Amino acid sequence: MDYGGGYSTTSYGAQGGAGGGGFMSGSQGGSQPNKGNISQSKDTLRPCTIKQVLDATQPHPDAEFKIDDIEVQQITFVGQIRNISTQATNITYKLDDGTGTVEVKQWIDSEASAMDLGAGGGGGGGKNNSSGLVEDEWARVWGRLKAFNNRRHVGAHVIRPVADKMEITHHLLEATYVHLYCTRGPLEPSGGKGANGGGQMNGQYGGDGDEMGMGGARGMPSVSPNARRVLQCLKETPQNNEGLNVQHVAASLRMPLTEVMKAGDELLTQSLIFTTVDDSTWAVLDL
Amino acid sequence: MAAEATPRINARYLESFTNSTVRILGRVTSLRGESATIDANGSVQLHLNRDAHLTLNNAVEIIGKVQPDLTVKVFQAMDFGSTIDFNAVEAVVDATHRYKEIFYTAD
Repeated sequence: MDYGGGYSTTSYGAQGGAGGGGFMSGSQGGSQPNKGNISQSKDTLRPCTIKQVLDATQPHPDAEFKIDDIEVQQITFVGQIRNISTQATNITYKLDDGTGTVEVKQWIDSEASAMDLGAGGGGGGGKNNSSGLVEDEWARVWGRLKAFNNRRHVGAHVIRPVADKMEITHHLLEATYVHLYCTRGPLEPSGGKGANGGGQMNGQYGGDGDEMGMGGARGMPSVSPNARRVLQCLKETPQNNEGLNVQHVAASLRMPLTEVMKAGDELLTQSLIFTTVDDSTWAVLDL
Repeated sequence: MAAEATPRINARYLESFTNSTVRILGRVTSLRGESATIDANGSVQLHLNRDAHLTLNNAVEIIGKVQPDLTVKVFQAMDFGSTIDFNAVEAVVDATHRYKEIFYTAD
């Protein structure tokens, strides 16, 4: 909450005069959106394939894992149970979704498992519904990616059997959608670059076309996914005629400041946005 | 790890996956003892193992190896019931090969 005041356009307007001051505030502010970045991504849940889990990169030990260069913590996936091994403290499931195999560990809560035994095989909506978790059946996992002694596993919050097999199909399509969203940006409203892959899907999004009509009419020049996000943010965020400051955009998109600057330069050269009170405050050029 | 991947394919991809282990989700169209035919965007001939229990007209997901004659030797078969939407299944196969970076490593 404290950060909010610092980003208000008026205070930036005042600082704009001093060249050096602008740089200082930029570099200071830069670390704050970064903090926000981490805590925000803690709250995200990324659907992925097991291959993505295995391919996830870790810049250094103890760092957060990244999928498509985006930090992930909570993940969800489906898989066919290849092996179940029950140990004193945990149950380890080996899951295979056709893209790879990974171990999933669920720690045993002694109280909960006692209740589970009491409830018998009924499993009437119980939290720890392990009754349907048998070898060769499909399961859905929500958990966290962990590395221990160079071996990767997933610490499961929840693992439950997949009752409707369409969930598998749905999950794989969702994982594909999110992968494409993260690597290529949101779907474009009309034609143009959308043709590279998202082609068939464009139809459904025809409705969006009107909203973006002004930009679209000018052929929506080919810009990077980041630039598209920045433009979208500038269009959708309520603002006065001063537009939005770079810091504000970076904070609301949870993007590093340098990336936002780069995206802004791209949009400025394409005359899609213009600078207002200073070089780092932008508004959409609506014709 | 990559060797464990079983890419999802249909009848159209058989040729490009000979001697590979794959997954195919299709509808059972005929059953004759140790062999069966499923429809997965075209018909696929299966050689079953003993513990495969297929149900006519139901969907089945098999894991098997594509033989040089484009039949499939089944290692494992699982009944997927009668409520599978094959348009969605088709979309998954399409995505698997179009965006293979998240599904399998091509040789």
